[in-house]
This record gives sequence, C-alpha cells and structure tokens, in this order.
Amino acid sequence: MNSKNLHLNEDQVIRSVVDENDLPATVRNHLSTCFVCQGKKQQIEQELSSLGRMAREFAPLPRREVRLPFYKPRSLWSWRPVFVAGFGAVLLIAGIWWYALVTTSQEKMMSQIMWETKQDEQLMAEIYALEEYAPVGVYPDVSVESDIGYFDEFLGFVSPLEVNQNAV
Amino acid sequence: MADSYHHVTELVKKAKAGNRASLEQLVDHFHKDVFRMVYYRIYSPMDAEDLTQEIFMQMSKSLSSLKDAGSIRPWLFRIALNQVRDFRRKKSILSFFGTTIELEAATQAMAENHNNPANTMMLKEFHLQFRQLTDSLSQREREVFMLRFVDHLGIREIAGVLKKGESTVKTHLYRALKKFRQNPGLHGLLKGGIL
Repeated sequence: MNSKNLHLNEDQVIRSVVDENDLPATVRNHLSTCFVCQGKKQQIEQELSSLGRMAREFAPLPRREVRLPFYKPRSLWSWRPVFVAGFGAVLLIAGIWWYALVTTSQEKMMSQIMWETKQDEQLMAEIYALEEYAPVGVYPDVSVESDIGYFDEFLGFVSPLEVNQNAV
Repeated sequence: MADSYHHVTELVKKAKAGNRASLEQLVDHFHKDVFRMVYYRIYSPMDAEDLTQEIFMQMSKSLSSLKDAGSIRPWLFRIALNQVRDFRRKKSILSFFGTTIELEAATQAMAENHNNPANTMMLKEFHLQFRQLTDSLSQREREVFMLRFVDHLGIREIAGVLKKGESTVKTHLYRALKKFRQNPGLHGLLKGGIL
C-alpha cells in the first residue's frame, strides 16, 4: 500500500485526537493501519496525558474539610408546622375581620337609630308648633280673625264705649 | 471505572433520599477534583477552598433536583463553573493585580512542599507554561481544553457542563489543540515528564 500520500496532515491528526469518528472513512482506515500516523496521534495524546498528570501532581491539595449542613428531603408530614401556622393565621385574620365587621355594624346601627330619633323629635316639634300656633304665618291674612281690629272699631261705632259702659 | 460509576450513582441515589453518610462520601469522592478544577481557574488556593465549600453547599442543597444520578459529575462541574464565574465577576477589578501575586504565592507554597529541587523547578516552570497556554486561548477554548485534559471529562460531559452541542465543543477543542501544538515551551516540559 502506497501510504505516503495518504498520511494524515497536522489538522487531521488533531481532529483524530478530538474525535476519530469525525474523520472521513478513508482517513480513518488509513489511521488504523499506518503506524506513522498512529505514532503522531499517540504523541499528542501522551503529551496531553502528561499535562493532565502534571496538573494533578502540581496542584495544591485542599487543606480544609468541607462542612455541610444537612438538607433532609422534606416529606409531606414535615410541612405540618407550616400548615398549622398557615391555618392559625387564616383563623386569626378571619376573627379580626369578623370582629371588625360586627363592631362597625353595631356602631352604624346605633348611629342610624340616633339619627332617626333626632329626626322624629324634630318632626314632633314641628307638629307641636303647628298645633300651638295654628294657623301660622300667612294664614291670619286670609282668615276672619285677621279683621279683628276692624270689627272692634265697627262695634265701637255702633255702640260707643261710654254707652256700653253706662249700659253696664 | 464502571464499578466506580455505579458506586457513585448509588451514593447519589442514597444522598437524594436523605442519607447523610452517602452525601459525605460523595463530597469526599469529588473534593480534590473540584478543588483542583477551581484552583486552575483562579490560581488562589485560599479562594479555591472557599469556593469549593460553596460548591458542595450548593450541591447538597440542589441534589434533589438532579434527575439523572449518573450525570452527577458534569452537573457538579457545572455548579463549580458557575461559582467560578460569579467569583471572577466579583473580583474582576482586582483580578489583574491579584492573580499574578496569588499565582506566585501559590507556586511558592507548592514548591516548599517539594523537597526535590528539580521537582520544584519543574513545578514553577509548569505553572508558568500552563498559564501562558491558557492565556493564549479564548475563554471558550480554554474552558473546553481544561475540562477535557485537566479535569478529564468526556466530550458529552463537557457539552452538558457548558450547555453546548457536542460539535461546538469539538470545534473549540480542535482550535485549542492547534494552539497547544504551537506552544514549544510546554511541549518540552511535557516530553520531560515528571521527575
């Protein structure tokens, strides 16, 4: 086999180091049979292997131990305190809301009663006033009673006061 | 390898069910890998310690949301990567000054642990060359390259970590490898191996 012209170039050798399967089938076949190309590939792989070994050898070692808190996976039962606390909070809020609702409605009712009582008293006062001074305001002008002064004068003319007194 | 995978999967399942011991075993299993992953991205051992702690805290909190127990590794590295990004964002103003100083301090501290002078030299040289290489890569190329060859994740796992398609990951990896091949300093060091 004349393999001289088929030897892998530098790029192909590097590609074979990355992943041999990415090479074309003909190149791959050549690599599997050519000791020269295999040698080139192995040389790079050995250098990279040495790099890894040296990196491992020359890296400092950790001096401190890792300390871990323990995060235990939570079962449904372990959420019980949360549920209890949540339920308590809901009860508390409901209680406060109910108390506020009741007290404000009582206050509203009382103030409504007081307002209505006051209104009633005012109405009654107006009624009494009407009864006491009826007819009020403008009505004396249109009633008989409004001519009461004229009627006295007329009577005085018809029957003078002295006559009246003598008569008495 | 397969045994380890099944063992880790079992640990994840038990930890998800609330088994404390399994969770601690998982942390032990991934501790060094996660720490190293973080370290090579921020070059500060102290901050890497803090971030590693944060990452495992996040892991223990969110483990119940992990659907596939077998994908714990890319899932954990994704958490780690997000933590590193947040850290970089917070420290963005100081990073220009901080990382160089911290890298030198970290290298010095590491060197003190190696009694062999040749190893000490190699350590310093490795960090220098490795930093030069990663600095020459784009952000995405760097991430893919490091996840593949430093953190030893597979292509599919990297795609999962970065939420990218496998072909995108391969393209970035190919470009990164081309730049890696053009770095003569690191090549010399890698051929020498670890003494």
